[in-house]
Amino acid sequence: MTDEPELELEATELVRPYVITNGRELPGDNTFTMITLVAVSDEAPRARVLDPEKLRVMELCAGGFLAVAEIAAHTGLPMGVVKILLSDLVEDGYLLARAPVPRAQLVERELLEEVLHGLRARFG
Amino acid sequence: MTSYLHDPALWGLIAGTPVAATAIAMGRKTNAKLRAALAEQSARRASLEAGREQIVDEAMRRAEEGTKSVLKAAMRTLQGLAGEQQVAIAKLQRENGEHAALKGLLDVDHGNAQFTRRAQSIAVLCDGWLGRRKNAASVYDVVRSAKGRIRHFTRVEIRSQSNFAVVSRAVEPVALALSELLDNATSYSAPETSIEINIQPVPKGVCIVVDDAGVGMSDEEKTLAGDLLTGRVTPGVSGLGNPPQFGFAVIGVLATRYGFSVSVDSTSPYGGVRAVLLLPDELLTTTIEPEETPAVGDESEPVAAETEPEPPVQATTFGGLPKRRRFRHPISIVPTAEDRAEERAAPAPEPVRDSVEAASRMGAFQRGTLSGRRSVNGVGGNGTRGGNGISGINGVDSVNASSEGQDAQ
Repeated sequence: MTDEPELELEATELVRPYVITNGRELPGDNTFTMITLVAVSDEAPRARVLDPEKLRVMELCAGGFLAVAEIAAHTGLPMGVVKILLSDLVEDGYLLARAPVPRAQLVERELLEEVLHGLRARFG
Repeated sequence: MTSYLHDPALWGLIAGTPVAATAIAMGRKTNAKLRAALAEQSARRASLEAGREQIVDEAMRRAEEGTKSVLKAAMRTLQGLAGEQQVAIAKLQRENGEHAALKGLLDVDHGNAQFTRRAQSIAVLCDGWLGRRKNAASVYDVVRSAKGRIRHFTRVEIRSQSNFAVVSRAVEPVALALSELLDNATSYSAPETSIEINIQPVPKGVCIVVDDAGVGMSDEEKTLAGDLLTGRVTPGVSGLGNPPQFGFAVIGVLATRYGFSVSVDSTSPYGGVRAVLLLPDELLTTTIEPEETPAVGDESEPVAAETEPEPPVQATTFGGLPKRRRFRHPISIVPTAEDRAEERAAPAPEPVRDSVEAASRMGAFQRGTLSGRRSVNGVGGNGTRGGNGISGINGVDSVNASSEGQDAQ
């Protein structure tokens, strides 16, 4: 254009996150947390063409259940944006979401000791 | 005759004739002189007038150039600042991805993109800096980028994708030109109507077709637009009117400079304007990273193959309870390229469940249950994973089974 050198615009992505979400509101906080797990649904429809970002998510999830936070890390997209994509994909039947597996509740030490004592008293 | 000699009138005539002759001669001379002077004066006036026009033109040209160079420098600063701001916003978006603040950050990002577009448009008219991308980008991404630069971007619907990509030097110009078309399309149509974009490969390249449901353009407007879009008329900064009409002028400059073409002379199916941006083959390349964008069918196939045959086999547990269906892969493992290759290479054995495999599955379940019972606080289950070497499926199942065993404990 002119004799001046053109500066390169490399620092940010060409397609901005608000375009990827198409201006959609963030889904309600209870739908997806950072550790909600998602996986490709058996009944995933095939006909429609997906956005490149959604395809990438589908690719990531093809291997099994993956946490929302991991998808965000792999795609480099903000967490909220990933949540919007996921809620779209779940709504359209491409993905299944399930709540994280709850941590096993450890039984109190006293109780175990009491049982042990009881067993020893009975059989020991 | 002599009587006339005494007539004073005769003497008067005799005396007057030379005087008159002299006077006439003098008059003629003066006349000629005056004519010459007049001719000289008018010639001079003509040259002065020509000079004046030249000076006025020169002054206008200088003023235009002065304005251009000032605006160019100013826009360069603004573009730089907007770029820095975008980087900062992108960083904040990633950091605050899970907070409610993200919504606001996305809005700020959108505002910044519109701001950048304005600055870029003015810069283009001032022969200034636009900025270029390092990498080629798919036509779809360029279209989406253009969409993000206008205010009412949610009204824009992109109906098709394409396998073509735009070469790096043309990414910004095409995105900017298209965003000006979209800005026009949204400005001259009702707010509840949508703008449709279709990407169509044609023999000469790729067409990006923008259809709006607006009021359309009169023939006069179409002619004017055609002049601007083909670069036949270049209004410069001072010829944009008030309020300034940037759109077509900017597109015209970009199209001429980078070698694509834009026309707005057809009517959309909705009665509005159909704008067509034709990208010639010189500005196109094949898609940059094909491994990043396979068709959906590609990856859903192995998934379907591995999960569909399972229900009849695992419908119930030993106790007759409905059994949960499992995915073949461990939790939170991203498949590597080799994994996927293996999957594709050997999907056949899976649907067939012979007695040996069934037995090994049962064995795995049992081992898992046992190890689960042995372990005190629920971490011992992993030990069975290495011990079961028949196939990846069984190894995974044994892990799952062992955790089930713990649940039962």
